[in-house]
Amino acid sequence: MIKRLLVVDDDADMRLTLKLALELAGYAVDVAGNGREALELQRKQPADVLITDIFMPDADGFEAIDAFRKEFPATKIVVVSGGAQFSRRNYLPDAELIGVEGTLQKPFDVDTLLGLLNRL
Amino acid sequence: MKLRSHLYLLVAGALAPVVFFAVASAALLVQQERRAMEREAIGRARAAMSAVDAALAGHVTTLKALAASKSLAAGDLRAFHDESQRVLATQPDWLNIGLATSARRQLLDALLPYGQPASFGGHDGSFDLALSTRQPVIGGVSVGGAIGVEVVRVLVPVVQQGEVRYVLSAPLRVDALGEVLQAQKTPRDWVIGLVDRELKIIVRIPSVAPGTPASESYRAAVTQSPEGWFRGSTLEGREIYAPYVTSPLSGWSLGIAIPVATVNQGAWRTFALTATGVALALAMALALAWFIGRRIEEPIASLAKATHAIGRGERLAVPSAAPMDEIARLAQTLQKSVDAMREREDRLRLALDAGRMGSWEWDVRTNRLAWAPELEAIHGLAPGSFQGTLEAYAERIHPDDRVYVRAAMTAADCDEQYLEYRIVRPDSATRWLESRGKLVRDPSGKPQRVVGVCMDITERKRSEEALKETSRAKDEFLAMLSHELRNPLAALSAAAHVLKLAQPNEVPAVKARAVVERQTKHMARLVGDLLDISRLAMGKVALERERFNLAEAVSNVVNVWRSSGRLERHKVSATTTPAWVDADRARIDQVLSNLLDNAVKFTPAGKRISVAVEQQDDWAVLRVSDEGEGLPPESAERMFDLFVQGERGLDRAAGGLGVGLALVKRLTEMHGGTVSASSTGRGRGATFTIRLPAVLAPAARAPQPEDGPVVPPRRVLIVEDNDDARQMLHEVLAYNGHDVREARDGASGLALAAQSTPDIALIDIGLPDIDGYEVARRLRASPGGRRMGLVAITGYGQAEDQRRAYEAGFDAHLTKPVATERLKQVMAGLQ
Repeated sequence: MIKRLLVVDDDADMRLTLKLALELAGYAVDVAGNGREALELQRKQPADVLITDIFMPDADGFEAIDAFRKEFPATKIVVVSGGAQFSRRNYLPDAELIGVEGTLQKPFDVDTLLGLLNRL
Repeated sequence: MKLRSHLYLLVAGALAPVVFFAVASAALLVQQERRAMEREAIGRARAAMSAVDAALAGHVTTLKALAASKSLAAGDLRAFHDESQRVLATQPDWLNIGLATSARRQLLDALLPYGQPASFGGHDGSFDLALSTRQPVIGGVSVGGAIGVEVVRVLVPVVQQGEVRYVLSAPLRVDALGEVLQAQKTPRDWVIGLVDRELKIIVRIPSVAPGTPASESYRAAVTQSPEGWFRGSTLEGREIYAPYVTSPLSGWSLGIAIPVATVNQGAWRTFALTATGVALALAMALALAWFIGRRIEEPIASLAKATHAIGRGERLAVPSAAPMDEIARLAQTLQKSVDAMREREDRLRLALDAGRMGSWEWDVRTNRLAWAPELEAIHGLAPGSFQGTLEAYAERIHPDDRVYVRAAMTAADCDEQYLEYRIVRPDSATRWLESRGKLVRDPSGKPQRVVGVCMDITERKRSEEALKETSRAKDEFLAMLSHELRNPLAALSAAAHVLKLAQPNEVPAVKARAVVERQTKHMARLVGDLLDISRLAMGKVALERERFNLAEAVSNVVNVWRSSGRLERHKVSATTTPAWVDADRARIDQVLSNLLDNAVKFTPAGKRISVAVEQQDDWAVLRVSDEGEGLPPESAERMFDLFVQGERGLDRAAGGLGVGLALVKRLTEMHGGTVSASSTGRGRGATFTIRLPAVLAPAARAPQPEDGPVVPPRRVLIVEDNDDARQMLHEVLAYNGHDVREARDGASGLALAAQSTPDIALIDIGLPDIDGYEVARRLRASPGGRRMGLVAITGYGQAEDQRRAYEAGFDAHLTKPVATERLKQVMAGLQ
């Protein structure tokens, strides 16, 4: 049963709204501005699901994912990214390739995310 | 064959018949001379013979006279003896006088006393001859008398009563005849000789013993013919020519021997003369041929030299003076061709220069490489300093491209070369070159040389690179755009979700509304930047210039940023001294905002950002310096290009579209200003400098309110079909104390205006029924409409829209989303 989520995004408003929306849905939500912070938080209070952006300062999403995979193999991972389909900067297919539990392209409907979390 | 050889041949051809005729006539002359000489020599022999004959005839006559003496006829021998003695005494050449009977009995001897018997001596065949012919006879040479002197006898038969009774004889000393020969005065090296019937020499100069047989050749000649000319040898063995004659009187012969050398001397002289003449003629002809040849060859040689030099590319004048018209013409023609060639060459050189091209030639056999001066210039070498070897060439090539160039050059079956490679100039600048070459083969197909041109394509390469970079930047931009637009949308979407579920007055809803407000502004700025940059690119932005103090404007912007909290993470300082400009204030604010945004983005928290304004000469200078990441020097210039941002990885914190600095540049340039970026290196921060033309400060300054204009409460009418926009405007205006009415379309707007007569009407242009322009026109035409303040609100804000708005009667123009500050300014302006 998923109770605790960790939202990682470099955009403060994005973190905030997601936290608000997910808390409304009954989850306990921690937020981090980058991968490093996320790891530190996870060590203090492990989350069941990591919801992370890819474009981020300090450590990009992929590095964060790698670190989580090693240290917290049980934690499920959902990737959200604003990468465009027509550009090289589309990281979602890459994320799918490395086998995360879910991918979402920004902007997404919070209900879609909630559905995804329910399935996990 | 050389020209001179041709001339020599001509001379030889012309002279050959002349020589032939000269030699032939010389031969003829020699022959005639020889004949004349022969005749003369024979004449001379005859004369000598005549002298001998005359001498003999004298002796015969004297003896005949004695024979006719009376005493002999009377038979008185004693008296005759006396008479003979007397005669003998008168004849010194006679040795004796003798008288013999026909029966060979000696009767008398003048040297002996009368009566003393004398001997008959020395009578050879000549005695019988005298008897038979009854004519005087001259005998051969013999040794006569007791004294042993060589003599010839003169015999005279004495005929009495029809019979020969006696023969009278006188021995004559041959010396006497020698004197006759002597008198002929023949040259010393000649021989003259008298020979008797028996071909014995009687007398000879130079002398031999009388009675010596004549030379064999002489005897042969005389036996063959009594008179003539022969070639033979003397007794001494000398080679001679000899004329000879025979006397009918004595039957003797006389010969003169002339040395062959003397005879041939004339011939030799003639031949020598002819030869000299021929040789002289030949020499003169040859000399003339040589001289003329030289006169032709020299100008030709100098023309050839000039042509050669011109071929080598030296600027030599063709020698024009020539001794021969044809050569002068040749020189003129050559000069014309050279001039034409030079013109073409100059044109080619110009073209090569213009294209930064230079020609080269590589001799495959000698491996020499010749470069035109332009090519040396392209390589950054002084003219003539290239050594012409492949090694020297390879040295100039960029180390990474050497193997490639070498391989391409030596590709065996490559008739056309095309190379693109880099070189490193002595000043260590790297340039891109393009080289095209064509292989020239000899008739047998063997490679001889490769000729080609080389061109500096650095600029092209750079623009290609820049194009690639631009294209890459565009891709980046689109990706970034997608990301930058999707991110706020994602936040908005999540906020909408929260607002849908949360109680309006609870914390989550309040927070979500704040997020909506922030993200909307953020997106509006992004879209605004994008639209601005495209409008600027199309030249559709009109500046609304006014005179203001840049220092104040900058301070205001910094204060607004400060109060909004956007500068709280950095130490920001502003140092300003007055600098007045004539500019569009809103645009200048935009410029500074973008610079500040840029500085904040790229400067780590806690570091310093400083803003400065000052006047430098004719420029108002705005500087924004930070202690951020700095710029690589090579990209300082490009920072202002569209879509370019500082280097960023996946982990970039900056965000933004990369259009901010491009906007800064275009807006500044529209104001006649310049932008520049500088950095002392990575991590050492950057300084962006804007220079705007400075203007004089106005004499009296209107007092400026501190916190923007204060607008007294007005009746305001909003005509806007978009509910959100209308409500937003309504709230802002109501908040500021205005009396606000609103309408959703043009018709109701006009009705409301007629009813409430507002002070100001804010009218959207894109209305569902009649457009905003029409609304404005009708309002202006309505009672009291003239004094009404009309403000157009459009989504475009292009220069064309502004113009149409003013034409329709609007006083001002605002673009969506309407900024509160701007709205205040506009409304203040309408007081």
